Amino acid sequence: MLDWILKLISLIYPMAKRGLKKFNGGIFPKSHKDLSNHHPIVKTIMPKELALPLKQHIGIAVEPLVVVGEKVLKNQLIANTEDTSLHAPIHAPTSGTISAIEQRQLPHSSGLTGLCIIITTDGLELEIENALKIPNKVPTEPNTLKNIIYKAGIVGMGGAGFPTFAKIPNEKNKVKTIIINGAECEPFITCDDLIMQTYAKQIISGANIVANALGCNKIICGIEDNKQQAIKKMRQAVNNEKITIKSIPTIYPIGGEKQLIQEILGIEIPAGSHALNSGILVMNVSTVRAIYQAVIEGKPLTSRIVTISGTGLKKPYNTEAMLGTAFIDLIKFAKPKMKLNYRLIQGGPMMGFEVQTNQVPITKTTNCILANTPQKKTATMPCIRCGECMDACPINLLPQQLYWYSKSQEFEKTEKLNLFDCIECGCCSYVCPSNIPLVQYYRFAKAEVKKNKSEQKATSLAKLRYENKLARQEKLKVEKANRLKAKKEAIKQKSLADKDKNITATSSTPPMSAREKALAAAKKRTQQANQITPDKASPAKATPTKAATTAIAAAKKRAALKKIKQQTPNKDTIEDSKPDNRKKAIEAEKKRAALIKTKKSQE
Amino acid sequence: MINTSPFIHDNNSVQKLMFKVQLALLPALIVHVYFFGYGIVIQWLLGLITFLIVESIMLKLRNRPVLPFISDLTAVITISGIAFCIPPNSSWWLIVTAVSFALIFGKHLYGGMGYNPFNPAMLGYAFILISFPVEITQWSLPIAISGQELTFINTLQLIFTGNIPNINIDQITGATPLNSMKTGLTTGTTILQTLNLPIFDNNLPYAWTQINIAFILGGLWLLFTRAINWQYPIGFLGTIALLATIFHYIDPHTYAPASVHLFSGGIMLAAFFIITDPVTSSTTPKGKLVFAIGIGCLVYIIRNWGAFPDGISFAVLLLNMCVPFIDQYTAPRVVGYKK
Repeated sequence: MLDWILKLISLIYPMAKRGLKKFNGGIFPKSHKDLSNHHPIVKTIMPKELALPLKQHIGIAVEPLVVVGEKVLKNQLIANTEDTSLHAPIHAPTSGTISAIEQRQLPHSSGLTGLCIIITTDGLELEIENALKIPNKVPTEPNTLKNIIYKAGIVGMGGAGFPTFAKIPNEKNKVKTIIINGAECEPFITCDDLIMQTYAKQIISGANIVANALGCNKIICGIEDNKQQAIKKMRQAVNNEKITIKSIPTIYPIGGEKQLIQEILGIEIPAGSHALNSGILVMNVSTVRAIYQAVIEGKPLTSRIVTISGTGLKKPYNTEAMLGTAFIDLIKFAKPKMKLNYRLIQGGPMMGFEVQTNQVPITKTTNCILANTPQKKTATMPCIRCGECMDACPINLLPQQLYWYSKSQEFEKTEKLNLFDCIECGCCSYVCPSNIPLVQYYRFAKAEVKKNKSEQKATSLAKLRYENKLARQEKLKVEKANRLKAKKEAIKQKSLADKDKNITATSSTPPMSAREKALAAAKKRTQQANQITPDKASPAKATPTKAATTAIAAAKKRAALKKIKQQTPNKDTIEDSKPDNRKKAIEAEKKRAALIKTKKSQE
Repeated sequence: MINTSPFIHDNNSVQKLMFKVQLALLPALIVHVYFFGYGIVIQWLLGLITFLIVESIMLKLRNRPVLPFISDLTAVITISGIAFCIPPNSSWWLIVTAVSFALIFGKHLYGGMGYNPFNPAMLGYAFILISFPVEITQWSLPIAISGQELTFINTLQLIFTGNIPNINIDQITGATPLNSMKTGLTTGTTILQTLNLPIFDNNLPYAWTQINIAFILGGLWLLFTRAINWQYPIGFLGTIALLATIFHYIDPHTYAPASVHLFSGGIMLAAFFIITDPVTSSTTPKGKLVFAIGIGCLVYIIRNWGAFPDGISFAVLLLNMCVPFIDQYTAPRVVGYKK
């Protein structure tokens, strides 16, 4: 009823639509989806060459299992790693020859290059059937499913690229609700829409497979209500009462994981926590379809549906593109209106990024290639604190205050204002009347905070190391001093003992009284004073000196020997342990990086 | 240069926003001309010339590009605010002083648009209100009451020379309804008696009511087009209406009814055009409401117990000072956090 009233109001006051959904803010950009959602998915285009980056996922890069010149078949495993860090294997999308393994420009926001396996296609499509060697029965345990998903190299295909197997819990019944994300709220993109229209049955059965393996009884698929065809097809495909297809309002960014959960289940995932902790598993429709193909057909992930759209194209379309196909190869078929002397965008206009060259390949996470003719940039004006950004923020942050603090580089304050809860959806920038690139400021602030933190960590580590070194040196000094003292003491004792021996040996006089002793000593002193030269040459005096020197030499020798003895095995152990330590450190670092990335993706 | 997401924009701009506000003031301007003559048009044009000169000089001095900032139209709103506040036939130097002060001290010395803590229009008005109280209280009488309809030339003459041949100035000036109430109370006239004066019509301030209704019309359109937030008018007008009703109920002889309060002076101008200035008001949703309620309270207090007949400018400036404080304690709960 309320929805109905709001919809009525929205006819004259469009922003009333904000009341239709459960999360805060949101925007209504022009969807442009009609550019590409009328035509069926175009059959795979066979490019001459495929470039497969070794890292198309969150985690570590995999290692090539093929060599240059080797012939590969479709679905053949061509890259993987033994490393236990987060990764996803890569398979050949078609048959051909490995023509190179080299650095290529990646579709990356900062234009990074990365190692890619280059396949020169032969057009024969020689295929390995059941490449994943799946058994004849559907997995009933989480681990069996996880294993297949891992082997198929499936990652989150909505754009995150987080290896899907790592998202699935090991225990049964941990997941209470599976949410299938068919929202696709970004303008221009229609690949999920087309997948749902074309492969509804595969998606439903994929969702069932996951639910069965995880012991979950509730599947909800959320689809924006501007995709009526998809909703219809999906509803027709539903074959049991576990699954509900839910039409959700069309509002950006309802397809964000946390926003979708909020909309569908009405719960907020606590900050810093992951949906899985609340018993929720969210998967994109493309990912679910890929799972179906892996589990039922034994097919690894080697292609994906990509939207090729934009205002600069005459014939936008969707296609099942082989991974590794260059952007430019796919754009050509869409008949660009003008020469492509501008950069293409990977992803949607709200969260996508410009690629450095238009030659970059399709990866597992490329959902859209956007060719929007460049537009004149409007000048940025000062912030007038109008608060539109705050009204638009789905997280309920204070974008303008974040902006002030990012601008003045008061990063501690930005952290206090929950900078790291920002999902960079771009709503604030979209509505800003002053045209301030707000999201860019937050990215900058986030990077700075991270940099500062790592620097802080490094300095404290260096400090600790330095302090330890000082302590060690101090300890060594003390030890050395002690040793020297002990040695001196020993020599003294020895010489004294020798002297005593000499004395006892030379004088056979009976014990003297104290007075006599003092007298004798005095006599001796005067004697010594009187005859200096003969005294030096006197053998009686020489013996103890000699004895002392020999004792010192012996002690030195012993010490040296001891040192050598101590050092030699020590050296060996150090040399042995050094690479060991390094290896361990590298491994630890990798693990940490993987963990951080996992966390990031979870956020 | 790498462009970063988002790559699309809703095409809103500061300029468009300010133009909307300016457009929304048009009905009130027409009504004002109908009741008080051409004075306000001349005042507004004087303000515009002052703005062009002052703003160009200030931008030059501050090493800022002149064209984009002069064309953002924010200063024009300042001029309109002041023009509606001062007596329409007051001497030319009054608005020139007010606008200059507003733009120089209220805006540019703080760093220009977006950086000023005080509402420039209210700062300029408060400045002349304190400096030249006599000139400000000499309001023109509505044409229907004075019976003198001045021509455009006559008005021009009046503004620049201070008199018009063959017309007694006292005949065309008089106290505003608010002023009458205030002075009436000091001489022992009750509010109910004051309401019988010719400047009141059906217990409502004559001419002012109509102008205020015109402001409401423009304001509603601004609300509809999302140029302003609902918290301001609701909080501000609600507070004044509530306080006026309570006090009028307690003592109708000393406290005017809510209707008189809401339709006299620049209440609706303030509600929809002045306190809605985003730069100088609170930014959080709750804060905006607190801000508006605060101004409402102060306006009512100054009107009834203060030395000035109307206190919108002081109330706005005082609440401007409280903005950082209000913002601090009204920050919304971030999703995923407990408050």
